[in-house]
Amino acid sequence: MLKHLYYRDRGTFLQSLHPAAILSYLAALLLLPLFLTHPLYLVSILLAGLLAAFTAEAAAGWCAYLTVGLWPALLLLLMNPLLSSNGHTVLFLLPPLPFIGGRTITLEALCYGAVMGMRFLAIITAFALYNTQVHPDRVTGLLSRFAWKSALLVSLATRMIPTLTRELSAAREVQQLRGVDFGTGNLRQRLQKYGWLLELLLVSSLEGSLQTAEAMQARAFGSGPRSSYLRNPVRLRDYLCSCSALAALFLSIYARVRGYADFTFYPQLGRLVDGVSGWFFYSAVMLSILLPLIIGWGWQRWPYLRSKI
Amino acid sequence: MALLEIEDLTYYYPERSEPSLEQINIQVSEGELLLVTGGSGSGKSTLARLLAGLIPEFYGGKIWGSYRLAGAELKGWRRRARHSAVGIVFQDPERQLVMTSVEGEIAFGLENLGLPRREMFRRAAEVMTFLNLLPLRDQFTTHLSGGEKQKLALASVIAMHPRILILDEPTSQLDPVAAADIFNLVESLNREMGYTIILIEQRLERCYHLADRLIIMEGGRIICDAAPGEAARWQLRKGLPFIPPVARFFASLSSGADSPVPLTVREGRRELQRTAPASPAPPDHLPLSTVSRSSTQKKEPLIRASGLWYTYPEGTEAMKGLSLELPPGELITILGPNASGKSTLLKLLAGIIKPQRGKILLQGQDTRGLAPSQMGRYLGYLSQNPNDYLTRDTVEEELKFTLDNFGLSDNGVCAEMMKRLALEPLRGLNPRDLSSGERQRVALASVLVTEPPLLLLDEPTRGLDYRLKRELGRFLGEIVAAGGTVVLVTHDLEFAVDYGERVVLLFDGTVVSEGPREILRESIFYAPQMARLFRGRAGNVLTVEEGLSTINGGRAYGGRSG
Repeated sequence: MLKHLYYRDRGTFLQSLHPAAILSYLAALLLLPLFLTHPLYLVSILLAGLLAAFTAEAAAGWCAYLTVGLWPALLLLLMNPLLSSNGHTVLFLLPPLPFIGGRTITLEALCYGAVMGMRFLAIITAFALYNTQVHPDRVTGLLSRFAWKSALLVSLATRMIPTLTRELSAAREVQQLRGVDFGTGNLRQRLQKYGWLLELLLVSSLEGSLQTAEAMQARAFGSGPRSSYLRNPVRLRDYLCSCSALAALFLSIYARVRGYADFTFYPQLGRLVDGVSGWFFYSAVMLSILLPLIIGWGWQRWPYLRSKI
Repeated sequence: MALLEIEDLTYYYPERSEPSLEQINIQVSEGELLLVTGGSGSGKSTLARLLAGLIPEFYGGKIWGSYRLAGAELKGWRRRARHSAVGIVFQDPERQLVMTSVEGEIAFGLENLGLPRREMFRRAAEVMTFLNLLPLRDQFTTHLSGGEKQKLALASVIAMHPRILILDEPTSQLDPVAAADIFNLVESLNREMGYTIILIEQRLERCYHLADRLIIMEGGRIICDAAPGEAARWQLRKGLPFIPPVARFFASLSSGADSPVPLTVREGRRELQRTAPASPAPPDHLPLSTVSRSSTQKKEPLIRASGLWYTYPEGTEAMKGLSLELPPGELITILGPNASGKSTLLKLLAGIIKPQRGKILLQGQDTRGLAPSQMGRYLGYLSQNPNDYLTRDTVEEELKFTLDNFGLSDNGVCAEMMKRLALEPLRGLNPRDLSSGERQRVALASVLVTEPPLLLLDEPTRGLDYRLKRELGRFLGEIVAAGGTVVLVTHDLEFAVDYGERVVLLFDGTVVSEGPREILRESIFYAPQMARLFRGRAGNVLTVEEGLSTINGGRAYGGRSG
């Protein structure tokens, strides 16, 4: 299960991109749902994200993130109509409930809740893609030019997690065989039992961190100005993807400022798309978002294209 | 002129009144391979840190004497120059890696040296090619095996182009195949690449013959600095244990002779052929009943495992219908390559995991229904890492803790266990402050206080020196003599033949061979050095003592007997 959640070399198009290119694309997938509230845009971006996840063989990973993300999304969907009585189209009246009293459920509030839930899922999708498609070392490598200490810290912390997991389960097994039953006892007793494990982990990480520090010292860490090893060739595909991501961001900001990508929920649901300009901006933004996926599809299919980009 | 020269060097760790290194004098010439050995706490690792320039810089403390590298005092070297001139690979493959990917790890040291990018690319590419790490280039270091991690650690140091390479017990955490891989690399780095290497090791079977010189340390001092053959003879006279079996055997045969001591199986077989030609091979395949040292066949088995299947949640099928019967009152060793299911079998026997098919009867009781926290009454389990056991503030409390968990009263068992394991002087100390051998004894005592009929040990000799191994072997022997049963998983063949009575060979989740320890003679890979030496000859030789009695009891030997 866990292995789906993290980066694994799957030889996909997105993984083959330069870290800056994939980061800009994922930034578009993350930022667009943050400043757009238009349901059509949000649905399309969510679908594009899903398409990206499926073509990048990250479906299993996405599903794992979904199991976490679905409940808050559903909660958003349900809570908004319960808490907000704005909107003109009354669907039904709820009998008085404890704490919140009687409520009017409106179509507008329900739609707004659904859109917020969708927005949340779209953001989760962007994060799922980040975790499955982006090699952490490449990002830290990218950052290390500007903030190498933070980059190194991230790397060390990342390395610690699997070690700690392994140590925790080993220590737990050992203590179980010594008669410690982690499943019984009241909350205080159980906390105490886990406290022992935590203490074990703390001591062993402290001992381990000294060893790591020593190994770093022996490899001349901090002996003067560092250089940075970046071996990420930039290809045509990286330009294409970054440009289309920037285009998507720029176009949607422009459309939002000019009111082409706005949608009115209250007091009554507005028209989905207003006029030719509305359709134009929608199509342009979606094309920019989909372009990297289309290129990726061709990259996977035609060796000729692969060799050219 | 020597590349490295240390003169009258004495070193105290901070706040210590005893020196950790005393009056050290070493000279290492360019291209030499120096092997440093000694017991736990003899100062080997401190010496490694000193040579690597980490002492006193990283550790502090007081130091006297001189350390010259290429003719110049090391103190005067700039830090960057010092760490690129002397590289060190540490014991624990896990803790010395910093970055998350293989290529990033190799680059780390080069970045620290501030090398230009082109130079870094070249060095990383070369070292990855030489150590065959190219296929793993983009891998996460977490996903590598222990051997691969250690190879990576070696690669990242070599990439820094050190003039001297220090290896501090690089194989102590590895299985024999991975260890052999590292030693092969060490050999080729020394013989073909001309690297000057200082190898600190306790596992001498595979590296003793590679050394130009052997240094033995004791109590922070160098007590021997000689060629390996000479050192073997000297140690034999002094009763020191740091000699691999073949060298020990020949040094014992001719302790006073001037002829060189054969160090490898090949040299040894030639020497045997020359001085004691083999008689026509007798029937080698003795019926098992005649070689078995105890009549175990008749006993009711203590453990009866039948048709065990186990698949891990991520899909690895680790047990494939394994069936096994283990008699009581014996020391049984489980051998096998990595991922053959050894640890899984031990966990199944311990009841930490339950078989998905098949069952395990322990003294006739089905263990499938027992929770892990109930299993402790039936068996003691010692994992690879004794630190997993140490949760209390004193050694005594640690022992009592187990008893309390099972609701047992202390009817003097804690005191007795501490006495048997020589823990009495340490009873009031915090277990975390003890040495690794002592920690292991505390962990062992903490599982033995329930007086279980069965003791399971996972790699108990890992990281132990000869002396501690001997103590452990003797203690396990006592348990068996008192009617207990000991099952241990190990990679340590010499330990298995010295103390084990019964051997189970696993491969790919099933038992491929099982019987008295003599079955190892027939094995290709699992035959101990002495069995390889005597292969095709008369007698039942697995240990040095058996070899000596075969030679001395049989035809006369050319050399003088020791």
